[in-house]
Amino acid sequence: MQRRSALLLGLWLTLIFGGVHAGNGAQTVWSGLVIANNVSKPEPPSPELTYLEETLKDWFGYNQYKVIGQSRKVLVTGSEDWLAQSKYFSLHIDSKEGNDKTGYRVNLKLFQESNLLLEWEAKLSKERPIIVKGPQVGDGQLLLLLVVQ
Amino acid sequence: MKTFEEKWTAWIDDELTGRDLAEFEASLPDLAAAEAEKRDAQKLGAFLKEHLPCRAMGNEEFFQHQLRERIASETAVPTSQGAGGGRVWWPIGRLVWVGATALAIFAGVTFFVMRENPATDQSQYLSQILNARVDPVVSPNATITMFESKEDKVTVLWTEGLRSLPSEYASK
Repeated sequence: MQRRSALLLGLWLTLIFGGVHAGNGAQTVWSGLVIANNVSKPEPPSPELTYLEETLKDWFGYNQYKVIGQSRKVLVTGSEDWLAQSKYFSLHIDSKEGNDKTGYRVNLKLFQESNLLLEWEAKLSKERPIIVKGPQVGDGQLLLLLVVQ
Repeated sequence: MKTFEEKWTAWIDDELTGRDLAEFEASLPDLAAAEAEKRDAQKLGAFLKEHLPCRAMGNEEFFQHQLRERIASETAVPTSQGAGGGRVWWPIGRLVWVGATALAIFAGVTFFVMRENPATDQSQYLSQILNARVDPVVSPNATITMFESKEDKVTVLWTEGLRSLPSEYASK
């Protein structure tokens, strides 16, 4: 009886501290390559873009936003690198050490195949997306999005 | 009403008198044997008094105190303090219930605190573009502008003059 109670207590403590640790721990960064254009029958945006749809329309004026490449990265150490890519574009993201409560420092490079088109450094805050207007592609526009979820 | 043992002890000590004495001696099955036993007991008592005098205790108060404390601890309702003032461990069952209660209180307080501060989930700072550049060979006329929109809560890096690409580059 006593052993069972002790086990139960231990389990509770594990759950509590595990939950607290998980709550304070890693965050996910979603990065996406998006083609914006005007079409007669626009498709609904992907779930990652739903809450940004109106903002994107206000800024860029297109009626359809289609994800052509994306990645979702869980930041554990804060010093990690990853890639979001489509058939012709790739976005290299390098998270630097020295992150603090105000956000993650990241280095980003947009490649069109092997050509470096754009490079920038940013401090990414939670639920405060960065939107980058890329090159014109056909009758649309390449956009790059980064969101700490 | 005295028991037989009490009457027997009193008879041995010559404390029964009158009617009690007569009734008790009448109840004995063998008065002669009882008288013999009484004499032996009195002899033994006299012998012990003579040869084993009661020693005076040097620390009588201490032992009396110990006895009183022991009796009090055995008769009193159990508390969290032991007889000697030392802490008595709670049983595991009670610890578990206290833990569960503490958890419930913690969960309740956390719920109310989180409900009162929902904005803490979002950063109060906008994301920032610290620096940016385009490849001057690939896009010699490109320009970069940065916007931070507090209204939309987004940061926008606006480029102009990047080399346009054909529509096939829009494929996944």
